Amino acid sequence: MSCQKTRAVFSCSTVLLYIPQQSLLHFHAFLITPLSNSNKNTIMDLLVMLLSLLVSYLIFKIWKRIDSKRDQNCYILDYQCHKPSDDRMVNTQFSGDIILRNKHLRLNEYKFLLKAIVSSGIGEQTYAPRLFFEGREQRPTLQDGLSEMEEFYIDTIEKVLKRNKISPSEIDILVVNVSMLNSTPSLSARIINHYKMREDIKVFNLTAMGCSASVISIDIVKNIFKTYKNKLALVVTSESLSPNWYSGNNRSMILANCLFRSGGCAVLLTNKRSLSRRAMFKLRCLVRTHHGARDDSFNACVQKEDELGHIGVHLDKTLPKAATRAFIDNLKVITPKILPVTELLRFMLCLLLKKLRSSPSKGSTNVTQAAPKAGVKAGINFKTGIDHFCIHTGGKAVIDAIGYSLDLNEYDLEPARMTLHRFGNTSASSLWYVLGYMEAKKRLKRGDRVFMISFGAGFKCNSCVWEVVRDLNVGEAVGNVWNHCINQYPPKSILNPFFEKYGWIHEEEDPDTFKMPEGFM
Amino acid sequence: MPEFSSSVKLKYVKLGYQYLVNHFLSFLLIPIMAIVAVELLRMGPEEILNVWNSLQFDLVQVLCSSFFVIFISTVYFMSKPRTIYLVDYSCYKPPVTCRVPFATFMEHSRLILKDKPKSVEFQMRILERSGLGEETCLPPAIHYIPPTPTMDAARSEAQMVIFEAMDDLFKKTGLKPKDVDILIVNCSLFSPTPSLSAMVINKYKLRSNIKSFNLSGMGCSAGLISVDLARDLLQVHPNSNAIIVSTEIITPNYYQGNERAMLLPNCLFRMGAAAIHMSNRRSDRWRAKYKLSHLVRTHRGADDKSFYCVYEQEDKEGHVGINLSKDLMAIAGEALKANITTIGPLVLPASEQLLFLTSLIGRKIFNPKWKPYIPDFKLAFEHFCIHAGGRAVIDELQKNLQLSGEHVEASRMTLHRFGNTSSSSLWYELSYIESKGRMRRGDRVWQIAFGSGFKCNSAVWKCNRTIKTPKDGPWSDCIDRYPVFIPEVVKL
Repeated sequence: MSCQKTRAVFSCSTVLLYIPQQSLLHFHAFLITPLSNSNKNTIMDLLVMLLSLLVSYLIFKIWKRIDSKRDQNCYILDYQCHKPSDDRMVNTQFSGDIILRNKHLRLNEYKFLLKAIVSSGIGEQTYAPRLFFEGREQRPTLQDGLSEMEEFYIDTIEKVLKRNKISPSEIDILVVNVSMLNSTPSLSARIINHYKMREDIKVFNLTAMGCSASVISIDIVKNIFKTYKNKLALVVTSESLSPNWYSGNNRSMILANCLFRSGGCAVLLTNKRSLSRRAMFKLRCLVRTHHGARDDSFNACVQKEDELGHIGVHLDKTLPKAATRAFIDNLKVITPKILPVTELLRFMLCLLLKKLRSSPSKGSTNVTQAAPKAGVKAGINFKTGIDHFCIHTGGKAVIDAIGYSLDLNEYDLEPARMTLHRFGNTSASSLWYVLGYMEAKKRLKRGDRVFMISFGAGFKCNSCVWEVVRDLNVGEAVGNVWNHCINQYPPKSILNPFFEKYGWIHEEEDPDTFKMPEGFM
Repeated sequence: MPEFSSSVKLKYVKLGYQYLVNHFLSFLLIPIMAIVAVELLRMGPEEILNVWNSLQFDLVQVLCSSFFVIFISTVYFMSKPRTIYLVDYSCYKPPVTCRVPFATFMEHSRLILKDKPKSVEFQMRILERSGLGEETCLPPAIHYIPPTPTMDAARSEAQMVIFEAMDDLFKKTGLKPKDVDILIVNCSLFSPTPSLSAMVINKYKLRSNIKSFNLSGMGCSAGLISVDLARDLLQVHPNSNAIIVSTEIITPNYYQGNERAMLLPNCLFRMGAAAIHMSNRRSDRWRAKYKLSHLVRTHRGADDKSFYCVYEQEDKEGHVGINLSKDLMAIAGEALKANITTIGPLVLPASEQLLFLTSLIGRKIFNPKWKPYIPDFKLAFEHFCIHAGGRAVIDELQKNLQLSGEHVEASRMTLHRFGNTSSSSLWYELSYIESKGRMRRGDRVWQIAFGSGFKCNSAVWKCNRTIKTPKDGPWSDCIDRYPVFIPEVVKL
C-alpha cells in the first residue's frame, strides 16, 4: 500500500541520516583521543569499526535464525484412542455369522473368508459398527455412518480436551481425516458445531487418502506450525465402516469386509513454547512417498463397482509388490535423516564390498531391488537410530514383511501384533493404538525415538519419527485405551481358538452336496 | 434542484475528505519541504557552499552509515513473508454435446418425475427465476433417462473435466509435470479410493515426493480453502510450484427423489472445473498474473442454525439429496458480515476505517439509534467476484455491499453461461473480467465464496501486469455476446 511505503521511507530516512551521524561522531572522537598519528589511526579506527559492526551483524542474524526456529517444533501434547462400548465386540463366531448373511456367497468364498479371518491375527475382542449387530449391514443409511462417527469423536475429543484442561475455543487448527465417508456439511463442520469452536479456525477435511492419512494430517499441521506461532491443533482420524460393506461376491473385494474394525484417535498438537514441557513427543522428520505415477501401484487398491453393480474395494494380487516398492523408496529418503553417520558409512562399505565381490555379474543396486515373495532385507541396522517401531496393522502379512525387511525381533513387533489382535485393523488410527501399547507397557523413556510407518491406496507410503520428550512410564496415562487389559498382554498364544472348530473348511467338499455341519450356525 | 446541488456538494466533500485522510503523510511532508526551501533561499548560494565544504565526510562515518542502511534494509526484506503469486489458471470449457437448454431439462424432468406433476412444476418455476442460460452443461451420465450415476461414470466425468483443465494449464504456463511440488484437489461430493489427487498423479506421472492433499466435503468455498493451504505450504517450502484443482462432480449427486427442497440443487449445479498454478519463485514475478494479498476464512459452524442450513440427508424413500433451508440468504448475510469485520481493516483505506470507527463509537456511547455505517468497499477493490451460488445470493450481496450492476456483472454472466459450478465459479468470473479487457496492473480483486457448514471465505488478489484479452479460454467464443440482459422471469 502506498501509505505504508511513504511511512517506511520517512521513518527510515530520519533514523538513518540523523541518529548514527551523531552517535558515530561521538564514538569516533572518543576513539581517536588516546592515539597520536592520524593516518595510521584512521585506518585502525576503520578496521575496528568494521569488525565490530560485522560481528554484531552476524550475531544478530544468528540469533534471529535460532529464535524463529525455536517455535517451529511440532509437539504432541496428548492423544486419545477410541475404545467402543463392549456391546459392539465381535468375535470369530459372529464374523462367521455376518458372512453367512450374504446370500451371494457360495461355499468357496465362505471357505476363503473363514480361512482369512482365522489366520489374520485378529483376536476375539475387536469392535464393529452398530448396524452389523442389527443385521442391516447390506442396507446402510446415511445416518448410520454419521452416528458411528459421532459416537467416536464425541467420546475421544471430550476426553483429550478435559484431561489437558483446554477448552474447544482454544483450538486454532482442526484436521479431520476419514477415508470413506463424505458428507455435507463435512465431518469437520460437525465437530465445530458440536464443540462450538471459534470462527477463525483453520479447518481441513481430508478424504480418500487411505490408511496413511493420519501422517498426512500431521504433515499439514507441521507446515502450518512453521508459519504461525503459538497455535494448538487437533487431528481427528478414523475410518467409517458402516456405509462400506460389500454385498457382492467378487473374490478380490470380499476380503476388505473382514479385515477392518472400528476405531479412531484424536491427537492434540502444539508449537507453543510454554507447553513444550508438558508435551509427550516431538516430531523429528516426516517423509511422504507417492507412487501414483506407476500404473500398477495405482491400480493395486481401487474402489469400483463389480459386474453386478455393487461398490467394493478391489485389492489386487500385486498389492504386496506395490507396497514393497513404495516402502523401499520411502526408506531410501528417510534413512539418511534418522540413522547416525557411522551406521550409514558401514552400510555403504558393505554395499561396496558386495559389489566388488560380485563384479563379474552386472548387478546394480541389488540390495534395494524388490524381491516380492521372499521379502527384502534392507541390510542396514535400524536399531542404531530407532528404539521403537509403530507399524501400521494392515494384517499379519504386512507386519511380518516389515519385520523381515527391517530385521526386527519379536520384542519390536509385539506392539503391532498385539494391537492387531486386540483392536484389529482400524485403518489410519492403528498407529496410535500401537503407540498406546508401548506407553502402557512403560517402554517409552525420554530421548527414545519412535518410527511410524503406514501405507495407503494410490500407492502411498508415509513415515515419520517422533522423539519422546519426557519419561512416559510414570503411570499417569489415565486415559490410555490399553489400561484395562495391558496385564494380559502378551498372551501365551494368539492363535485363533476357532482354528480347530473350523478345521472342516480345509477338507475338500463338493459344492453341490455340501451341507452345513451341526453346531456351525 | 436544491437536492441535486446539495448531493453534488456532498460528493465533493466526501472526495476531499478521502484525499485528505488517505494521503495524510504526504500532506505532512509539504510544510517540512516548504520550511527547508525557505531556509535554503534565505541562506543564498555562497553560504550553502560554505556549509557543504565544512562538513567533514569522514570515511568511517560514510562507511558506517552505508553499512547501517544496508543492514536495516536487509532486516526489513528478510522479515517480510514470501510473496505468493498466481502464475496462471485455466477453466474447463464443456463440449457443446453436454449442453442442457431449458427445453431439454424440462423434458427430462417430465419423463423422470412423470407421477409427480407438482415437482415438475416446482422445477420449472425454479428454472425460470434461476438466472441460468441455455448453454449450461451437465455430464453425459445425467443425460440418460433415468440418469445412470455409476461410480465408473463419475470417475469418467472427473477424468474429463480435470484432465482437460490441467492439460490447458500446463500448455499455458509451460510448467513440466515433474516440477510440481504441491498438489491440492478439492471436490466436495465425490471422493473415490484412491483419491482424485492420486488419479491426477497417476495420469501426469508426477514425482514421488509430491505433497498431495485431497480436500472434500467443504462445499463451494473449498477453492479458497485450497488456496489457503497452498499459501501456508508455499511459505514453508522455498522455490516451489503448487497446482490446485477445484471441481465438483455432478454425476453421483443428482437427486432422484421428489422432495422439493432437495430438487433445488439439481436445477442449479452444473459441470465445471478449474486448475490454478501458484508459486513463490522469484523468477515468476514478471509473468505471474496476480499476487495474493489477503485471505480470510470465517466458520460459523458453532451456530446451530448456520450449521443445518445446507444439509445432506435421505428423504422418506431413501434417496440422498442436499436440503437447502429457507434462511440461506439471512445466514449468508451474517457470515459475510463476520468475514467483513476481519477483512475490512486489512483492505479499507484509512478514511473509511475512521468513519466506521466514529460511527461505531457513536452508536456505543452516544446514541444506539445511529445508522451503522457500511464502509464503501468500492474504494478498496476494483473488481468483485462473488460466488455464483444463485441469483438470490448475488442480489443479496449486491444490496448489502451497495455494489453497482457493473461490479456484479461477472458473477451474473457466469451464472448465466455456466450455471453454478461450485468451487470453480470464482475462476470463471475472473476469466470473464480478463476477457472483457478490464484487468489492469494494480487492480485489486475480491473473491467471496460461501460453503456448507456455514463458511464464508474471501481472498484479495492484486493484479501484477495488465492482462491482454485472452484468445482461448472458456469465454473466447461468446464474450462478444455478453453482457446479456437477464429478465426476472424467463417464461417457459
